[in-house]
Amino acid sequence: MIQDEYEFKVVYKDKYTTLSYNEELLMAICTADSEYIPIGEFKKVFLYVSEFAESSKIRYFVFDKRNLRTFHQPSMEWYFTIWKPILKEKGLVHHYKILPDLLWFAKAVEAGKHEIFQKYGNDIINGINITYISSIKELLEVLKKD
Amino acid sequence: MTMEDKSYFQEQLEAKNDMLARTTDYMNQIENLLTEKNLHLVDLQRGVSDSINFAKLIQTSLLPDANILKVFFKDAAYKVVQKIGIGGDTIFIKNTNSGIIFCLLDATGHGIPGAMLSISGTLILNDIISSIEIDDPAVLLKFLNYRLHKTFRNDKNSIAHFEGIVFYYSSINNKLSYSSAKGKGFLFNSTGDIISLASSKTSIGENLNTNFDTFDVPFQKGEKLILFSDGLIDQFGGEQDKKYTTFRLKKLLVNNSEKTVSELIEIIYEECFSWKGDGGQTDDLSFKIIEF
Repeated sequence: MIQDEYEFKVVYKDKYTTLSYNEELLMAICTADSEYIPIGEFKKVFLYVSEFAESSKIRYFVFDKRNLRTFHQPSMEWYFTIWKPILKEKGLVHHYKILPDLLWFAKAVEAGKHEIFQKYGNDIINGINITYISSIKELLEVLKKD
Repeated sequence: MTMEDKSYFQEQLEAKNDMLARTTDYMNQIENLLTEKNLHLVDLQRGVSDSINFAKLIQTSLLPDANILKVFFKDAAYKVVQKIGIGGDTIFIKNTNSGIIFCLLDATGHGIPGAMLSISGTLILNDIISSIEIDDPAVLLKFLNYRLHKTFRNDKNSIAHFEGIVFYYSSINNKLSYSSAKGKGFLFNSTGDIISLASSKTSIGENLNTNFDTFDVPFQKGEKLILFSDGLIDQFGGEQDKKYTTFRLKKLLVNNSEKTVSELIEIIYEECFSWKGDGGQTDDLSFKIIEF
């Protein structure tokens, strides 16, 4: 398997999330391990990512939400308007997201994003590439081709 | 359950309710937007429908009275069924000093462009026949070919063509002749044979230098002349969604050889409608029958 070709080292773990990193790919993967991440815990792991980005270069950041079942709007608003611009300053512009294979969840994400863009304008993601993927394997294959 | 767990589930429940409310609100916004767009589309559709209906009235008013032909022949009738109410098929009948000219024309395209061409063709034909006394169908096609070519600048954009067949009947010597530019027609004679009418392979308006041929039609009393556009034989349908074809049309004519012209017109129309089934009309279609 293509994932087996790369070793991802766990650099952070708590009850709700796992953050792993591959030095060769310069890729960090934040995996949601629970159905819901409380906003405090959410900020904690993502602030850790920004700290981690000081010492280790992150070119690709993957947020694997497949285990999530609750889309928390205030967390997402913070993630879009505060966290992403900070990470953009640190050179991280390639964001990948994996959603659970649930139509209602995808609609909730769409509704949340629509509200954020209405509130802050589409410019908030200027210069940031956000790509939805179905698996890490898919991303690794694309990157391998490039 | 610990206090920590209780607090976690409480927060998750609140977040879930919030997510549900926001998503519902978003879906309602989309529904309202779709309703608004749908009303706009209905309004546009009504506008287009009204416009087409009025255009149909205009185009239909240009169609001639088939009874003019009954002055010269035992019986005559025709039917024009445009794909969207207006279209490129047309029938033309006009008296001349020495007889009568009648045609069935099928313009390129259907719908609005077809109707524009068909009306232009009718007006040009009228103009030619009013200006010059023509007793040779090939000459009339040559004139029409020239006028179409020049009017629509077909040397630059070859878009305005007609397929069709033009007849001239001389009441002076009881002679019928025709010229065809990809036009389609049969002579159903007294021995029960169906003879296809010869045709040139070039459309009208396609090439400035095209020459058309005139053929005489030796007809007997009781024989029938059947003219039709390709919309009739190219209609898709039947069990295997195939073209209707001239083969089926000929068979239908043979099976209904004793019918009157009006009955035959309805039989062909009903057959075509039934062949089409639930599918759409493939093209504009028209047909004309004359009994000698």
